Amino acid sequence: MHRRGVGLAAFDRQEQSKRSFAELSTQLSQSQVDHLHAQLNQFRTALARFATTHRDSIRRDPAFRHAFQQMCSSIGVDPLAGPRKGGWWAEMLGLGDWQYELGVQIVDVCVSTREINGGLIEMEELIRLVSKLRGVGGGEITEDDIVRSIKTLHPLGVGYQVVSLADGRKMVRSVVKELDEDQAVVLAIAQQEGGRIVEDTLVRRKGWTRGRARAALENMLLRDGLCWLDEQDEECGKAYWVTSAMKWDA
Amino acid sequence: MSFSTFTTPTGFLLPSVHSAPPFFTQQPHPGTNATVTEQWTTLLLAYARHRKLFVLRVEDTEAADSEWAEVLRNERINRKLLPSYLSTILATMVSKNLATYDPPGQTRSVLLYWRLPEEWAEVLHGWAISTGQLNTILTFYEITDPPIPSPLSDIPINLLKKAIAVLAKTGRSQLIAVADGEGVRLLAGKS
Repeated sequence: MHRRGVGLAAFDRQEQSKRSFAELSTQLSQSQVDHLHAQLNQFRTALARFATTHRDSIRRDPAFRHAFQQMCSSIGVDPLAGPRKGGWWAEMLGLGDWQYELGVQIVDVCVSTREINGGLIEMEELIRLVSKLRGVGGGEITEDDIVRSIKTLHPLGVGYQVVSLADGRKMVRSVVKELDEDQAVVLAIAQQEGGRIVEDTLVRRKGWTRGRARAALENMLLRDGLCWLDEQDEECGKAYWVTSAMKWDA
Repeated sequence: MSFSTFTTPTGFLLPSVHSAPPFFTQQPHPGTNATVTEQWTTLLLAYARHRKLFVLRVEDTEAADSEWAEVLRNERINRKLLPSYLSTILATMVSKNLATYDPPGQTRSVLLYWRLPEEWAEVLHGWAISTGQLNTILTFYEITDPPIPSPLSDIPINLLKKAIAVLAKTGRSQLIAVADGEGVRLLAGKS
């Protein structure tokens, strides 16, 4: 049975135990904080060591880089961000520079091909041209890297965006221009056809009216400069060629 | 399907864009048109240099046996450059001083400047020096059809005259009337 004190002495005793508890609690939390600090330091050292030892692999091996970036995001660390500008992380790895450099190369390719593709480039083609630009020593790059780099370009407000087509293909858009839904459909079909698209295809395969098909194609041709016109098409007399869907060997 | 380069029977490497069907149509979008026309300009000048062709006529698009057929046509994809488009391309080239209408006063035929008259002037002067013909009177025929073929062989008289005019400005040439027409004396000039 629980014994309860009565009177003033009991009151004192209660006060004292309360104080002791409070003391104990501060001690405990202090040691917890210390412990946490120690752990954090350890984590930081471990990461730093990891970063320095694997730095080259991270830069060179796309699979490794991908795994590393996934690890970072699962533990809530952004390899590009940090307490200081650029971030200690980024400094340690050089990943920030790497990513920005890739960003610059993406801009380079997008701008230099804009004339022929109207500012819309297929992901594979972009990767191919960026890889060519980087040369053999640059290591392999993946779609994931491109998407990440494009995100780092965001603060510049230049409107680089990754557009997903209905069939899962991705394209990178480097002009501030909205692609409407019909255009996305046209792009997807043009991709399958090697670039060529005619009104009939849209009418037949998508059930569009001729007017809608013509409007979509003419807009892409005349307003956006995303197509080339062919007036000597054997089948229809007039065909549209979506430049970003055309494959060039050289 | 992808577009690739192609080597013609005369050994000219056509760029991959030449195998793209819409390349042969004039583009309605101004930006696109500028790009494609630029590509045509480069291609035509490169081919002219390769074959040493000086004259390009709008009519060359029509004849399958024209010396320009390899470039103006692509039988593999059944396309040919349309005369109206070639005429626009020629106008653009003339405006950029990459060609000149010849004879003047019409727009169907041009003289191509795959070397500018200033460059031809240097070629002519260099040739006269290397063959020891400075200070002698040469007929145009002796320049355009020398016994030993030179870079100036078959150069059109109009182009040759422009080159001589360029040299005259720096005192390196003198037009001289000879028995059967005109001749020129090339001089060392002040240097």
